[in-house]
Amino acid sequence: MAEKGRGDVLQGTLDMLVLKSLQLGPMHGWGITERLETGSERVFQVGQGSLYPALYRLERQGYIASDWGVTENNRQARFYKLTSSGRKRLAEERATWARMSRAVELVLRMGEAEA
Amino acid sequence: MRATVRDVLMRLRGLAQRRSMESRLDDEMRFHVDMLTEQHVRAGLSATEARRKALTAFGGMERFKEDARDEYRNRLLDELGQDIRYAIRVLRRNPGFGVAAALTFALGIGASTAIFSVVHGVLLRPLPYEAPDRLVVLWESQPARGNDRNVVSVPNFEAWRSSARSFERMAALVPLPATIAGAPSPEHVMGAEVSPGYFEMLGVSPALGRTFASSEERDGGDDVVVLSDGFWRSHFGADRRVVGRTLLIDGRPHTIVGVMPPSFDPPQFSWLIDQAFWRPFGPTDNNRGWGRFLLVVARVKRDLPVSAALRDVQGIAAQRATEDKGNEGWSASIVSLSAQITGDTRLPLLVLLGAVGLLLLMAVTNVANLTLGLVRRREHELAVRRAIGATGGRLLRQIITQSAVVGAVGCLLGFAAAVGGVRALVALLPPDTPRSGSIRVDAPVLLFTASISVIAALAVGAVAALRGGRNGATSLRESGGRAAARLRGGSLVTAEVALGLVLTVLAGLTLRTFEKLRTVDLGFDSERVIVARVGVSGPRYQTPAARTAFFDEVLSRVRALPGVQAASAISTRPFGGMGPATPLGDASAAETGDSVVADVRYADAELFRTLRVPLVAGSTFDSRDALDAPPRVIVNRTLARRLWPSESPIGKRLRVPMFNGIVPEVIGVVGDVHLMDARTPARGAIYLANARFPMDALDLVVRASDDGAAVVKSLRSIVTAIDPALPVFQVTMLETLVGRALARDRFTAALLGTFALVSLLLAAVGIYGVFAGDVAQRRKEIGIRVALGAPSGGVIALVMRRAVTRAALGVALGSVGALLAARAMRSLLFGVGAADPVSFVGVAALLVLVAVAATLVPALRAARVSPLVAIRVDH
Repeated sequence: MAEKGRGDVLQGTLDMLVLKSLQLGPMHGWGITERLETGSERVFQVGQGSLYPALYRLERQGYIASDWGVTENNRQARFYKLTSSGRKRLAEERATWARMSRAVELVLRMGEAEA
Repeated sequence: MRATVRDVLMRLRGLAQRRSMESRLDDEMRFHVDMLTEQHVRAGLSATEARRKALTAFGGMERFKEDARDEYRNRLLDELGQDIRYAIRVLRRNPGFGVAAALTFALGIGASTAIFSVVHGVLLRPLPYEAPDRLVVLWESQPARGNDRNVVSVPNFEAWRSSARSFERMAALVPLPATIAGAPSPEHVMGAEVSPGYFEMLGVSPALGRTFASSEERDGGDDVVVLSDGFWRSHFGADRRVVGRTLLIDGRPHTIVGVMPPSFDPPQFSWLIDQAFWRPFGPTDNNRGWGRFLLVVARVKRDLPVSAALRDVQGIAAQRATEDKGNEGWSASIVSLSAQITGDTRLPLLVLLGAVGLLLLMAVTNVANLTLGLVRRREHELAVRRAIGATGGRLLRQIITQSAVVGAVGCLLGFAAAVGGVRALVALLPPDTPRSGSIRVDAPVLLFTASISVIAALAVGAVAALRGGRNGATSLRESGGRAAARLRGGSLVTAEVALGLVLTVLAGLTLRTFEKLRTVDLGFDSERVIVARVGVSGPRYQTPAARTAFFDEVLSRVRALPGVQAASAISTRPFGGMGPATPLGDASAAETGDSVVADVRYADAELFRTLRVPLVAGSTFDSRDALDAPPRVIVNRTLARRLWPSESPIGKRLRVPMFNGIVPEVIGVVGDVHLMDARTPARGAIYLANARFPMDALDLVVRASDDGAAVVKSLRSIVTAIDPALPVFQVTMLETLVGRALARDRFTAALLGTFALVSLLLAAVGIYGVFAGDVAQRRKEIGIRVALGAPSGGVIALVMRRAVTRAALGVALGSVGALLAARAMRSLLFGVGAADPVSFVGVAALLVLVAVAATLVPALRAARVSPLVAIRVDH
C-alpha cells in the first residue's frame, strides 16, 4: 500500500541503517524511524513491525544498548545507543554494502557503452 | 567466546525477565503510538481521529508484539527442539544405525552401571556406623617376620586400652560359635563376645532393652546376651517381651537384655563372620594366658590423624616388648575398619571397574564410528544444506544433538539392563564378598550412570563433529564423490584393537590364573568326601575322656554305614578357614627364636587314608596315643625337609610352645596338604592325635562310595541317637569347599572373559564398519585399478594391508597398556607372570585375526567391483 517510490527498507539492510542512525547519537524507536525517513528523503518507510524486533535483536547481539530516558518534551522513552562492537559491526556492514552495491551497479551496466 | 557467554546470559535473563520484557514492550509501543498521534494532530486531525490512524498505522499491536517477542525467545531452546526432532527423523530414517548405536551405548553403560553398583556398595558406601572413618582395627605385628596383622593377646589389649590416649573407645571381640538348645533340634549359631561399650563405639543403639554395662565385663563377662534382629525374629517370633527371658548358650542360661535393630549390620572381618547374638567379653586370669586371639576395634579421637594413633600404640607395644618375653619382636599396626572389611575384594573389584571402563570406551568408539559413517553417507545432503544457508556451527550442533538422543536412549536401556544385571551380579558374587547386602541401584549409582552417559554422548558428538565436521564444511562442489585415498576412521580401528587387546589380555591372564589354581595339586582327594562338624558342650562332656568316647562312638557307627569307605575326624577341615598355627623347632637344637611357623591340626589315624594323603615315612597314630601318653606328632613333608634336610625325621623331637610346652616325638611324615586354599603355598604342618588332645568340636571327614546323600542323613541320626542335644552343622561336600575357595577367581575370570568376548565383538563390528565404508567410498578407484588389470588378489591385499597396518599399531599400543594394567593386578595372578608371553602373543594374534576377519567381507566386496564403475557417471 506504499505510495509509489516509497518502500520498505531493502531486505537485510535494516540492521545497518539502524546502527547508522544511532551513530548520530542515542535515540528512541520513534526517533529512529524519523531519522531513517528523513535521511532517506522519505523513500524508506520503516514499519514498527520490523523496527522493534530489529532493535531487540541488535540489543541481544550486543551491538546496541538501551535505557529509559527523557525526551526533549519531557516524556519517558527508551533510548538506544551504539556500543563499541556495534560501531565495528557498522563499519563492516558498510564495507560489505559498498562492495555489493558496486557489484550490482557493474552487473546492471553490463554491455552498456561507457560514456 | 565472550560474545557467546553474553549471549547465553542475555537469553537466561530473557527467560527470567519475561514479564518485565512484556511491560517494556507495552511502554515502548505506547510511546511510539503517542508520538504518531501527535504527528497526526499536528497535521490537523482531531485527537480521536489521529489516535485511530496511529493505531492503524501501527498495524496490529499484538502481531507486532509477537514478532518482537520472538526475538526475545530463547532461540537456543527453539533450535534445540528442532535439532532433537531432526535427530529423531534421521534416526528413524536410518533405523539400523539407531538400533546399533543405542544398543552399543546401552551395553557399555549398562555394564558400567552394574559393576559400579557393586563397587559402590562394597567399597565406596560409608560403613553404617557413626563417623565410620574414625573406626580402626588394631593388630599386633611382627615386623621381622612380615606378619603385620596378628590377633591380640588379652594383656596387650588391656595395656593398649588403659594407656593409649588416642582413642575414644576400644573394644575386643571374639567370635563365639555356640550351640543353642532349641526345638526341634539343637542348633549351631555364630555369635561374638564383645567388650561392653562396643555398640556405643559404633554409634548403634538397641531396638529393645539395653546393651552391656561396663560392670558386666567382670569375671569374663556376665551371662547376659543381646540378640540380632534376625535371630530375634526367627527364634522368638519378634516377641517384644523377650527382654528378661533366658537363652541357653552351650548349655548355660543367659538373660536376654536387648535386641539390635534390623539396620544393624555388624562388622565382619577375619574370622568374625555372621553374628546372631553378642555376650560381654571380659579379661580373666584364665584368658590372659591363652595367647593371642582377640580382634580389637577402636575409635580414634576426633581430629587425630591415624598416624598419631599408630605411634601411640606402637609406643605402648615397644614398652610391652621389654616387659614380657612373650612380646619380644612384637609391635602393633592399625588398619581402617573399612579397609579391613573390604580387604581382598578391593583389587579385583577395581580391576573389573577398570575393565568395564575400557568396554565403555570401546562402545563409545564404536558409536562414534557409526555416527561418522552416517555423517559421511549424508555428506551430500549436508553440503546441500550448507549451500542453502545452514551454518557450520548449526550442522555440528545437530550431529552432537543426534548423539545426545542416541545417548539418552542408550542410557535408559542401559540403566534398565543394569537393574537386572546387578541382581544377577550379586547372585554370582563370591560368597565371601563383604557388604554384598549394601549393593543396590540408588541415587549415587543413578548419578554415575547419568554422568557417564553425558560424557559418552559428548565424546561421540565431539569425535563425530571434529572428524565429520570437515565434511560438514565440504562445499557442494567437492562432495560429489571424490576418491578418498586416506582411510577414514583409521585411528578408530587402532583404538578398537588396542582397547580390545588390553581387555582380552587381562581376561587371558585371569583365565590362566584360574586354570592354574584349579589344577594345583592340593595334596588330598576331595572327591565324594563329606565333611560335617559336631561340637560337644554341656556338663556331660567336662572330661576329656567323655569327649573322646563320644567321637569314637560316632566314628565307629559311621564306619559301619553302608556306602562309607573311610571316616575320620580333624580339628579343622582343609579349606575350612584358619586354624591354629605356632612357631616351633627341633628340640635338640638351641632355642634361637624358632622361626619356622607350622599349622597345627588334631586328627586321628584314619585321616590320611580318608583324604588319600600319602604317608611318606614312618607310621600314623595308634593306641599308644592315649590321653596320658607322651605326645607324638606327624609332620608334613615341607616341615620335615625344613628341619631335617638330610636326616630321617622319624624319632626326632619337636619343641612346640603349646600346652605349656611339649616335645612330641615325630612318628610319621605325610604329604603336603593345602589347608587354606589353592593359592597359599602349603607350609609346615604338624598333626597331633585327637585321642591325646581331645577337642570339643571336630570335623567328621567321611569318604562315601556314592554321592553321599544317604550318608549325610545317617550322620545326623547317628549323632542324635547318641546325644539329641548336639547339633551337626557345616555339612557339605569337600569338593564344594574347594570350589568355593576359587569363587573369587572364578568370578573375576568369568566377568573379564565376558568383557573380553564383548570387546572382540565390538572390535570386529567397528573394524568391519570402517572398512565397509572405506571400500564403498573407493569403489571408483578400485574400479579403475581393476580396469587397468589389477588381479582380485591384489585388490583384496590393498584393503587388507590397511587393516593389518592399523591392527599392528593397535596391538603395539594395546600391549603397553595391557602390561601396565597387568602389573597393577599382579597380586591377583597365580602361576602366570604379568608379562605372560602366552597371553600376550596369543591375544595379539587373536586381535589381528579379528581385524583380518572383519575386513574380509569388505575386501571380497572390493574384489568384485566391476571395472565399469570407473566409467559410470556419479549418481
